[in-house]
Amino acid sequence: MKMIIGGAFQGKYEYAQENFKLKQWIDGAVCEEDEIFQCQGINHFHDYIKRQLLEGTPVENLAQELIVKNPEIIIISDEIGYGVVPLDRFEREYREKVGRICTELAAFSLEVHRIVCGVGVVIKRV
Amino acid sequence: MLHIITGGSGSGKSVYAEDKILALSGQASKAKRIYIATMYPVDEESHQRIEKHRRMRENKNFETIECFTNLKQLEVPNDSYVLLECMSNLAANEMYLDFGAKEDTVKAVLEGIDLLLRNVKELVIVTNEIFSDSGIYFEATKYYLSCLGNINQELSRKAENVVEVVYGIPVILKGGSL
Repeated sequence: MKMIIGGAFQGKYEYAQENFKLKQWIDGAVCEEDEIFQCQGINHFHDYIKRQLLEGTPVENLAQELIVKNPEIIIISDEIGYGVVPLDRFEREYREKVGRICTELAAFSLEVHRIVCGVGVVIKRV
Repeated sequence: MLHIITGGSGSGKSVYAEDKILALSGQASKAKRIYIATMYPVDEESHQRIEKHRRMRENKNFETIECFTNLKQLEVPNDSYVLLECMSNLAANEMYLDFGAKEDTVKAVLEGIDLLLRNVKELVIVTNEIFSDSGIYFEATKYYLSCLGNINQELSRKAENVVEVVYGIPVILKGGSL
C-alpha cells in the first residue's frame, strides 16, 4: 500500500500517474462501493469516505478491511484537517474520520508521499 | 526543555505526544507525569472527546490536572514531565470564557508557559494546525487564529523540537525527532 496526500489542487493525481504507472484508477467520488477492494488505485479517497458517511455506512472498519482485501492499493486523498473546527456536526465528523482512517492506513503503508505545489516529499518509506 | 507537537485534525498527534513524554521520562519509576487537560466541557460532544482521550492515556501513568484558563496559577510538581493538551483549547478558553484573559490571551498564555518551564523537567505542548481554510468568515475567528498563530510561533522559537504529525508520521520542523 502507498499513499499520496496533500491539500486540494496540488497535483496529487498527476504526481501519482507519473510515479506509479497504473492501468486503472477509480474515482472515490463516483465509484461503486466494492470497487475499492479490487482496484489498483483510488483518487479522491476522502470523497469515498464522505459518501459512506452520508449513506450512514459505518467506516470504523474501512481501513482494516482495505488492508486485508486490497493491501497493494495506491490511495490518493486530500488532507482536510487543517482548517478551523467546522460548526457543522457532520463536517466535524467527516474531517475527524478522514484523519483517523488515513492515520491507520499510513501506519500500514510502505510509502507516504505528501504533495505541495505539485512537489512530492516522501514522509515515509519502509 | 520545551517540545512542540502540531498537526491537523485526527492526525494522531495526541498519541505521538503521549509516547514522547513516556520516552522522555524513561523507565524512572519516580518520574512524575502530569497531563494538563484544557478542554472546557460544554456539551455532550466535548464530554465524549474528553472521555476518549482519558481512555487513550489510561495505562500510561499520567496524573491529570485540569486547567481551563490562567496557567500562571497552576501548581505543578517540580521536575515533573508535563504534557499540555491542547494549546488551541487553552487559547480559546482565555479568549471566550467569562473568566478568561480576553484581549490579553497571548500574554497570559506565554507567561504561564514561561513559569511552567522554570519548574518542570520537560514540557510537551500539543497544538493544532487550523490555519488553512479557504475563507474565514468571522472577525472573531480571524482574531482567534492570529492569537493562536502568534502563540505557536513564539513557543516554537523557545522550543528544542517542533514536530508536525501527519497521519501518525512525524515530520521534523525544528531540532531532532525528540
